[in-house]
Amino acid sequence: MARYILKRMLRSLITLVIVVSAVFLLLRLMPVEGYFNNYDKLTSTQIKVGLMNQGLDKPVMVQLANFWKQILKGDLGVSNRYRINYPISKVIASKMPVSLKFGGLAFMISMALGLPLGILMSKSARGKSRLKLGDKLGTLFVVMIQGVPVAIYTLFILMFGTSLLNMFMRIPTLFNADNWRSWILPVTALSMGNLALYAMWLRRFMVDESSKDYVQLARAKGVPPAEISRRHIFRNAMIPLVQYFPTSVVAVLMGSLYVESLFSVPGMGGLLVDVIKRQDNTMVQALVLVYSALSILGVLVGDILMALLDPRVSFGNKGGTR
Amino acid sequence: MDMFARAPYRPEEAEKTADTGYSYWRCTLRIFSKNKVGMFFFVLIVTLLTFTFIQPYLPAQKQALLIYNDDAGKVLRNVSPNDEFWFGTNSIGQDLWSMVWAGTRTSLLIGFAVAVIEALIGITAGVLWGYVRRLDFAFTELYNIVDNIPQTLVLILISYIMRPGVKTIIIALSITGWLLTARFIRNQVVILRDRDYNLASRCLGTPTRRIIMRNLMPYLVSVVAMRMAMAIPLAVSNEVFVTYIGLGLPLSTPSLGNLVNSGIDKIMQAGLRYQLIFPTMVLSLVTISFYIIGNAFADASDPKNHTE
Amino acid sequence: MNKPILSIKNLNVAFNLRGQRLHAIRDVYLDVAPGESLAIVGESGSGKSVLCKSLIGLLDANGTIESGEILYNGRDLTRLKNEKEWLSIRGREIAMVMQDPMTSLNPLMTVGRQIAEAVGLHQGKTGPQARQAAVEYLADVGIDEPERRFKQYPHEFSGGMRQRVVIAIAIACRPKILICDEPTTALDVTVQAQILRLIKDMKAKYGLTTIYVTHDLGVVANVADRIAVMYAGDFVETGLCDEIFYDPRHPYTWALLSSLPQLGVKGHDLYTIEGTPPNLFQPVRGDAFAPRSHYALNIDFEERPPCFAVSETHMARTWLMDPQAPKIQPPEHIRSLRERRGEI
Repeated sequence: MARYILKRMLRSLITLVIVVSAVFLLLRLMPVEGYFNNYDKLTSTQIKVGLMNQGLDKPVMVQLANFWKQILKGDLGVSNRYRINYPISKVIASKMPVSLKFGGLAFMISMALGLPLGILMSKSARGKSRLKLGDKLGTLFVVMIQGVPVAIYTLFILMFGTSLLNMFMRIPTLFNADNWRSWILPVTALSMGNLALYAMWLRRFMVDESSKDYVQLARAKGVPPAEISRRHIFRNAMIPLVQYFPTSVVAVLMGSLYVESLFSVPGMGGLLVDVIKRQDNTMVQALVLVYSALSILGVLVGDILMALLDPRVSFGNKGGTR
Repeated sequence: MDMFARAPYRPEEAEKTADTGYSYWRCTLRIFSKNKVGMFFFVLIVTLLTFTFIQPYLPAQKQALLIYNDDAGKVLRNVSPNDEFWFGTNSIGQDLWSMVWAGTRTSLLIGFAVAVIEALIGITAGVLWGYVRRLDFAFTELYNIVDNIPQTLVLILISYIMRPGVKTIIIALSITGWLLTARFIRNQVVILRDRDYNLASRCLGTPTRRIIMRNLMPYLVSVVAMRMAMAIPLAVSNEVFVTYIGLGLPLSTPSLGNLVNSGIDKIMQAGLRYQLIFPTMVLSLVTISFYIIGNAFADASDPKNHTE
Repeated sequence: MNKPILSIKNLNVAFNLRGQRLHAIRDVYLDVAPGESLAIVGESGSGKSVLCKSLIGLLDANGTIESGEILYNGRDLTRLKNEKEWLSIRGREIAMVMQDPMTSLNPLMTVGRQIAEAVGLHQGKTGPQARQAAVEYLADVGIDEPERRFKQYPHEFSGGMRQRVVIAIAIACRPKILICDEPTTALDVTVQAQILRLIKDMKAKYGLTTIYVTHDLGVVANVADRIAVMYAGDFVETGLCDEIFYDPRHPYTWALLSSLPQLGVKGHDLYTIEGTPPNLFQPVRGDAFAPRSHYALNIDFEERPPCFAVSETHMARTWLMDPQAPKIQPPEHIRSLRERRGEI
């Protein structure tokens, strides 16, 4: 078991190296303007010198090697436009806690609300009534969230949420990290996607499990419906649900780009949007790498969770696609 | 007739019920048509699609990117919806109604293009992946690596490097999308190769062409149809996102992303909110419809559901 | 029969399938005597499993009991409306062993817990007591090292062992009737005999009435006191084991027995029953087996044959038993079986 985890971690590490290198190489194609603060005003000689100083004139492979040397020292480079000559790692370090808190909160809420919704929906779907109201309403909600782009329903939440909440409390117009009220709308927006995801898949997996033979046997031996639902169906349906853990991590990561920016939350997502707009190459590079690393981590954790929870998984052969 | 006389034995009577009359496609279409919601949205989408593409040729339509002036020569900015401008005009003076439909056309075209490219490359790759055993390892590793990176991140990267435009978005989305299609196809090819019922078919002398038609094709068609249906909402969604970041289509290309983006500034001004509401409504309608039919079709084509 | 423990009268079960109605069970009568071992024999699609499921209320969602009664202990089981009412029957009175041990057990729950669950429900024991009882049941069904095996998952057991576990679960419910739906079909031949012996032992030890559902006449010969032959949703012949094997009266039973390959007999083609079972989406006219039978009378295509009594324990639903029918000799090997019986 421990061997599997180590093997899997090694794999992720290799993936990380490959992806980071690939991204780095790809980013050599970035427009040169982004390395300078005042590109238009520079002469071509100054540009050349500037590029030399940043090591950008050397052959690509040399740049890659230097880059790795830097990274392993923890140095992500300096910003050229966002904050001139300021170490990027410091910038990220100041923004990451907010994003983590924000994302983590959204994650927890989407599970706390999404799982019960999924259970309710599956109960309604498996029930004998022809109406199946719970299932239909839940599905309506899920379709709305999954069918409409994140960007769009976030706007709706901003528009109507603000008016709605303003009837009960004063929402500060500018985001204030210490005022819990300003967290409500952005966290809601960020958690919707995964809420719908968990509800939809849990419902489907529970319905799938409920038609399996062992559930028949449990019914035949006289287990009451409530306990079948809890002990057999729900428990077993959670296992395949874990495979969506990486997907939901990615959803939060990418979603935060938009939500943080729209609601002016001072996190990494808003930062990336900002530096893209400013065309700050080194910052964009660093942030893309950070996000890639986080995604890879998410996939790794998801795989390990799967292995931990499913006793049928044999640790000999875990090749093949996920 | 003497009831107790021996009745002659007729072999055709004995075989009478051998054929159940089950046809995969007929059953799939039957189930799909019974799904009222799915059918509603299917009709809606067909109407919407037809309308989107014939809209410019209908009477009383305005030109999309044109800036409209009133008689005195002043630009008609921010005009609320009225008889002349059905969705009103935006802050530059363009007719919102025709802009919305032009933008929808752009998004649909992007989506279709991505879907087609994904399908072509995906199917070819998938068949090779499944059939040629030596390629299995390479493809699988490639898939595993690419699967770690969100598609949106790739899109951001590529849009940042290349000039923003329709081609950029198409390239960025197709680059990662084909792998997923390829995987589905590959799985089915492997099943075709190895599963018992196919081995049995081959033993019985079923020609390969028939095996492929009966076992691979239905699955192929349903996978491709599903992926195509999902490609549209994905294209729209990514386009809006990337526009917000500033890497979207240029203003000279009508796009829903641009409309939404310019609409965002108007959120707080109640009178101008229509500039956001109309594009988002049409956008949501399109994406929800494709999402629903995609799912309805996936459900209908799943043989497990053919018992109803 | 004196006082049957289970009495099925006029039972009709139908399914909604692809927009049509499938009549799986057509006006069926069956009595089960307390303590007996009854085998229900039939091909795939004859309705045997549907019948079993009706007895514990596990019909699929698209199936309904259209009419009839299932009388158990003075209660009509067809009247039980919801899950709660069925809980008093399932396990406690009637338990079931299902066909496929690979899928009958919850793959993510230890074997011991699954047995203990049954113990908890029907014997009121919990915690360590339930655990102890479960371990005892594991030993009872012949599993070595029950203490260790208790904590293992189903995938760590072989097919035969899993079926033993399923039997243990059924026994732990302390039922009166045990229904075994093709209990050995998914197992190796060598394991089959062991499982059948196990069920017989459990029957004796716990005083059960057993109902076997199978298509395998070999199994039947091994375990059954009485046999009921099922075809196209109806019983065509029922009788004691000897009566059915040595003195069958219905053409379908003849065909079934003729299909048994004879060990050591060479040179003949294997006998097969030509044709396919009827389409139960349409109402059946007359005797369902008539189109495939070489012994059919005209009336077999018109009217459903009534039950004719061959003896007190033996009945056959065929017009051939009618006094007006011509005296038809069954096929040769069937006749020779009769003669051999005379010798025994």
